[in-house]
Amino acid sequence: MCVGLSAKVVRVQDGMAMVDASGARREVSVQLMDDVEPGDYVMVHAGIAIAKITDEDEHETDEIMEALLA
Amino acid sequence: MSGEQRQTAAQIIQSYDGPHLRIMEVCGTHTHENFRLGVRKLLPPQVDLISGPGCPVCVTPVGFIDEAIWLAGHGVTITTFGDLVRVPGTRQNLADVRANGGKVQVVYSPLDALAYAKEHADEQVAFLSVGFETTVPAACLVADQAVTEGVGNFSLLTANKTMPNAYAALRDSADVFLYPGHVHAIIGTGLCESLAEQGVSGVLAGFTAKELVTALAVAVRKAQEGKPFFVNAYPRVVKPEGTPAAVALIRKVMEPVDTEWRGLGVIPQSGLALREAYQNMDARKKFDMPHIEGKPNPACRCGEVLRGVCKPSDCPLFGKACTPLRPVGACMVSSEGACSAYYQYGGDLL
Repeated sequence: MCVGLSAKVVRVQDGMAMVDASGARREVSVQLMDDVEPGDYVMVHAGIAIAKITDEDEHETDEIMEALLA
Repeated sequence: MSGEQRQTAAQIIQSYDGPHLRIMEVCGTHTHENFRLGVRKLLPPQVDLISGPGCPVCVTPVGFIDEAIWLAGHGVTITTFGDLVRVPGTRQNLADVRANGGKVQVVYSPLDALAYAKEHADEQVAFLSVGFETTVPAACLVADQAVTEGVGNFSLLTANKTMPNAYAALRDSADVFLYPGHVHAIIGTGLCESLAEQGVSGVLAGFTAKELVTALAVAVRKAQEGKPFFVNAYPRVVKPEGTPAAVALIRKVMEPVDTEWRGLGVIPQSGLALREAYQNMDARKKFDMPHIEGKPNPACRCGEVLRGVCKPSDCPLFGKACTPLRPVGACMVSSEGACSAYYQYGGDLL
């Protein structure tokens, strides 16, 4: 529905950020993010950051399985 | 430590021995990833993954393409996501329009469409604004920016849709919904929680192999417990509150309207249109567009595919008259469409 690309923020200026997705770089809008700093990971969709990524999928799924099997 | 070995997510799915279970992949990207990553091969026979309406291109009615073609015919430069270019209108598609000299520019982002308009001040530029809550903020951002900066040669042709009332319309189509992660990254989890209170079960899923398998394990395990449930299995991206600035921006620029979904008909208050303050951005009004009624190919079963009523391979056109090279229906065109996924990954055999 809404393909997202996870990308690392390289620099931020005036509501725009240069992001790096596996070496591919592009400027995206981060106007909808509260606070984004270089080094953060964001989910990018259609040229804007729609969410901050706060964990890795490995750790996330481990926690969900812990809860499911508790 | 307990000596008992815990089941993995894959084992939970494979060992499911409950009643027949219909899990709807609301999101077209989930359909594609479940095929591509081989997740479907884990499913026991009594678990059906059915595709839902979560492909913006697929649910956009034929008449919208006809409207875009009308604009192009009146000298307007069309800027659009690439998927829409080959979606058939009543008589032709935007690729035909381009081949015949019309101006159709593919863009990655609405921001690129606005940048194109600024660089081509002598052209009237319309962006084809399709998409759900995930995509709408980008369209609202450029509409707001264009008004603020006084960019007079830019407008939107809107066909945006929202999920809440679509879930209500689909509630009997599935036993468990695999909710679209990135829609809820914007709107949060409140809707899913309230649906669970109304008896509608679902799991919010991410897009990696681990996330999809985990979400399906949660779905089958919880379904077996027999009580309505909601689990956010994508918390690293989807927060309970979503992205408040995006929701506020959508509310500022657009308002809910009744809208037509291909295959589902008109769903009340499930669309978005530009608010009064942004009327200069509305391509229909700006160019005094007449009402245009599209006529879909009557043999195409995209509509039933989108409701989960039939599988793509049940359509008589699938893989014969309708292929990715010569698509008849939108679901075969879009990279997120169910027919495209079934064709690409051999889903007719599954």
